Amino acid sequence: MIEEPYRWVEAIANRREYIETELAAGSPIAAVGYRNGILFVTLGRARQKIFEIYDRIAMGAIGHPGDIERLRLAAIELASTEGFTRSAADVSLRRLAHYSLSPVMKSAFEQVYGAPFLARLLFAEIGSSPKEDLFLRIDYDGAIAADGLTGQPRQRFAVLSGTRQSAELMEKFLQKEHVTDAALPDAITTAFDAWSLGRMAMGENASKELPERDAIRKHRDEQLTRGGIEAAVLERDSKSAIRYRILADEELRSSLQR
Amino acid sequence: MDKPPLALDQNFSGASEDFPALLRRKGLLQVAPEPTGATGNHPFVQTESTTILAFKFAGGVLVAGDRRATAGNTVVYDRADKVLEIDRHSIMAIAGVPATAWEMARVLEHSFQYFRRSQLQEMSVDGKVRALSKLLRDNFGFVMQGVGVVVPIFATYDGSSKPEARLYFYDAMGAQFEVTDYAATGSGSPAVRGILYYENNWGDKKLQELNEEEAVAIALRALDTAAEADTSTGGVDRSGKIFPLIKIVSREGITTLPKEKIAGVFKQKVA
Repeated sequence: MIEEPYRWVEAIANRREYIETELAAGSPIAAVGYRNGILFVTLGRARQKIFEIYDRIAMGAIGHPGDIERLRLAAIELASTEGFTRSAADVSLRRLAHYSLSPVMKSAFEQVYGAPFLARLLFAEIGSSPKEDLFLRIDYDGAIAADGLTGQPRQRFAVLSGTRQSAELMEKFLQKEHVTDAALPDAITTAFDAWSLGRMAMGENASKELPERDAIRKHRDEQLTRGGIEAAVLERDSKSAIRYRILADEELRSSLQR
Repeated sequence: MDKPPLALDQNFSGASEDFPALLRRKGLLQVAPEPTGATGNHPFVQTESTTILAFKFAGGVLVAGDRRATAGNTVVYDRADKVLEIDRHSIMAIAGVPATAWEMARVLEHSFQYFRRSQLQEMSVDGKVRALSKLLRDNFGFVMQGVGVVVPIFATYDGSSKPEARLYFYDAMGAQFEVTDYAATGSGSPAVRGILYYENNWGDKKLQELNEEEAVAIALRALDTAAEADTSTGGVDRSGKIFPLIKIVSREGITTLPKEKIAGVFKQKVA
């Protein structure tokens, strides 16, 4: 099959379609910068989707749990050994993604006789000032999209979703609504609204336009009765070197604005 | 990257590997070789370099250490930090060779974090106590060669179903001993143990009933007494204003007592 270049391209295209279908149902994840850190939010029913990787790095993921687990453990292993042999300050998300995870995911994707990673990853790394924060997304084919690596103006948020349409709408919404200097409760509301509309935008018949705020909130409250909010923050001013903190469900529900 | 992460291996399953094992797989941590032949009969010599103590009081566990590091008769350093924070609720205090001890503390700190991050749950107190024991056992080959002796104290707060402060001391082979009241190791420890034993049995109050200020006063008196007869213990350097390092483990976490506070108690109750 792959002796002929055309066949290889075709095989890759089929594989891409297959993975996109597999990922399409994944519940979105929103990561937004707020006054004192970075917040990750999603709503989960079945399993944990937001994880601590190292002192200043967190990860959200959608995809097959087996693949997510392998990538997560690889990231923890790389960060931990680097932090141990050098120092915690030498652990960098940029290097973790560019030199370790992306090449592995790319080659797994392109070796058509092997299994690809059915996973999409969203990382954030908190710096000593908002200017040093980094948001970074790695797709199943190893493609990286980052906010904070180039000279471009920063958005200070990033999203992950099962479908392209859903992710684009979430970004559009956050470009309008996201305030980088917001307090945590406000950030929770914005991020969860983004999640809600990302969820609404999934499926065949979903609208391509931004829905009204009322519709977003109504959908959000419906979903809240069925699942638990999962959220974690990377705190900038924490006394401890470990910046990752899981937020309790009650703290989250009481923060949400009607 | 020298060796790719285990998790990326196609045949990978489970994550039973602990952090020291991961370091060994990557060639970043050596187990000390057991001595062979003639060195097998090498007499076990305790490197005497310091004094550390810990006891339970009303506010948790107090851990204190003097600041002196010595090599033979030479004072190498008078600001050594022998009371080390391992995680939010655990302290390891070290008597012995700092090079080995600091490395152990580093491995231990990363072990606990690595476990929590990879397994998505906090390591149990028993697991943490055992982890240090294994590191000491791995180091025993060096101890038998007469280098790298470490005799630590481990204090932690068990936040599980029955919350309480826990205190352990170790021998150089890795045996752990849980204590109910107090522990002391290092060259000045006989004097310290004498004082703590006396205070606990015939003092005004039992150690566990002391408030923070009383506890600090006793810790300072004990270290000062140890330094009186032991050149390896710095005690309280009255001219240089160098005070012992004192940390407290409680349910809320670890507090490092500020120097001014220690100086105040010292002035009032010790000097």
